[in-house]
Amino acid sequence: MSEDKRKSEMVKEQDDGKEQGNGKVKESRRDFLKKMGVAAAATVAAPAITSTTAEAVSLGETFQTHFELMSDAQKEKAIARLEKRYTEQFGKQTTVANTPAPDGVLFGYALNIAKCIGCRRCVEACVKENNQSRDPAIQWIRVLRMERGNDTFELENLHKGSPDSNSLGDYGIQSGGHADKHVGLSGAAEHYYEPEQVPEDNAIYFPVQCHQCEDPPCVKACPVRATFRDPNGIVVIDYNWCIGCRMCQLACPYWARRFNWGEPELPNEDMNPKTHYLGNRPRMRGVMEKCTFCLQRVREGRYPACVEACPVGARKFGNLLDPESEVRKVLATKKVFRFKEAFNTDPKFFYYMD
Amino acid sequence: MRAAVFYGLFAVVTGGLLLQNMPGEEAAAQDVTQEVTQDAAQDAAQDAVQDDSSAVQAAPDTAPATPDATAEECFESIKGTTELSKKNNVVPKYGYPNVKCSPTTGAVLWYGDPYDGTEPMGEMPSYGDKTDGDFAEAVIRPRAEHLKTIIQTNMQCSVCHPSADPATLPNDPRQLMMHQDIVSDPQNLQHGRGAIWCFDCHNAANRDALVDQQGQEVSFDASYKVCGSCHGDLYSDWRMGLHGKRTGEWKVGGKKRWWTCTECHNPHTVQEHRFQPIKPEPPPALPRGMSEDDFKGADEHGGH
Ligand code: SF4
Ligand code: SF4
Repeated sequence: MSEDKRKSEMVKEQDDGKEQGNGKVKESRRDFLKKMGVAAAATVAAPAITSTTAEAVSLGETFQTHFELMSDAQKEKAIARLEKRYTEQFGKQTTVANTPAPDGVLFGYALNIAKCIGCRRCVEACVKENNQSRDPAIQWIRVLRMERGNDTFELENLHKGSPDSNSLGDYGIQSGGHADKHVGLSGAAEHYYEPEQVPEDNAIYFPVQCHQCEDPPCVKACPVRATFRDPNGIVVIDYNWCIGCRMCQLACPYWARRFNWGEPELPNEDMNPKTHYLGNRPRMRGVMEKCTFCLQRVREGRYPACVEACPVGARKFGNLLDPESEVRKVLATKKVFRFKEAFNTDPKFFYYMD
Repeated sequence: MRAAVFYGLFAVVTGGLLLQNMPGEEAAAQDVTQEVTQDAAQDAAQDAVQDDSSAVQAAPDTAPATPDATAEECFESIKGTTELSKKNNVVPKYGYPNVKCSPTTGAVLWYGDPYDGTEPMGEMPSYGDKTDGDFAEAVIRPRAEHLKTIIQTNMQCSVCHPSADPATLPNDPRQLMMHQDIVSDPQNLQHGRGAIWCFDCHNAANRDALVDQQGQEVSFDASYKVCGSCHGDLYSDWRMGLHGKRTGEWKVGGKKRWWTCTECHNPHTVQEHRFQPIKPEPPPALPRGMSEDDFKGADEHGGH
């Protein structure tokens, strides 16, 4: 979109806003709809609408359709609207890109769990790159810490969490344990670990983020198709279309989705002004968000931020359709597994070992 | 408008509970007005000063929390190896810095420009695998200059160590007079478990460089040639991009910064620990109302 055109549209919107009396009030789609819903219930719809939506920006956003259904012109308009809003809000020139998905690419990720030292630099880099809320803190990557070795079958651990007298007899049948107290130690993982230094002896670290499933349960669960799979296989969210029902969070077996319970807080000086509509643009309260393999970066050819931050090079990223790519070579030469394979979600996120 | 209808209904049912007055909105609106003015001021300043970090400082209130932002230093993989200073002038218009540092650990977390301070890696000896040629676009961050003027002395290694004829050097390791911080006891050098010593890698004839197994001088920038001569499997993986770190473009043949061996591993201590132990970034916030004890030993879904 040309600068001039964008400017003229901004001006037009501003003018529209002035006509209504106030050009500065921000109102999101869901605030508006909330009020509309309540107003409708109270059967005083018309006055409520006119008085609470005095602003063209919010009107435009409220009646914005799903990103995939928008015409190019509508997209440009929506993006110009957002750029203007973010630039004002954060006090720096912000771009909202609409870079298309590159052709012939299926993005894949490989993570070497033998290398990962659990330093969480990937987590912090992700927060900084993707404009996640600092308070309440939202993090898309979780690093799980596990004891080395599998202790499940040691007698001592076998009875962990079981009632003292086993009503099922002495057959080694597990009858204890609950959500916060596992049975045995197998698979026991902790993500609030805080040692002085990493790596620790006797620990392995297992970072988890969105696996960009080929058959994503979150997409199936979304009642309004706010989340969908992009042509490169990345599962994205149209934040403006998300109704915040959290069905996807329930459906995701990888605990990869985060919900903005509060108004996201993002310091101006720390905000990353290079954003993408489907990627790291600032979110609003009441919407879901998740890892997009840094869509704003990878669509422009760059590695995701977590790859660049990992000090040990445990993270590999590339095109699964290119046999010469780093991920394909990992698949061809290393011991590879996928997390929770039995769910048949077919992740494009692979774990490997040397 | 399916979403709208759905949400409308949703709101009818739960509206009474959900509907909240948002006092933050008013304040936000005021902020916006203020920031617009600042933004305009900033724009003007940027127009005047095209590629200077002072453009950001010209609008002092845009970054009030980081007055010392320009002085901030952070390290990449190993502390004391590659330090970067945070500068605010990568793209003045957007006002983002070259790097962002972690306030907890002082590590680089974010790169504004992944090629900042790099230079072409140059030729790679042929190895016979299919990746030959994929390093045409490879860049590295040069280390030779940094190592020559090592730690505070601002002198090259050769100032203290004039070139020696390798033939006249003693054949046995002796106690170090200096550099004990690097290798405490060369007779017990962990790298190679006693099979190698200093001059197997360091060039006796020119201390500002390394030396390979054939006696050829190798620059500190190309340490992988020395490392690779013993660690062939890792070297091969590294060439393919399976071992080690790369930043830049994900495409095969794209411009990438290759991280050389010694940027991640300290060759003098690598047998004690593959990576220098570091302080981790802080753990995620506990869910509201939960205490530390609720999560002791909880499994991965304990926090739901
Ligand atoms: S990991 Fe979860 S959020 Fe990501 S695509 Fe799969 S189901 Fe969806
Ligand atoms: S940055 Fe790398 S080593 Fe550190 S936790 Fe993440 S994946 Fe593991």
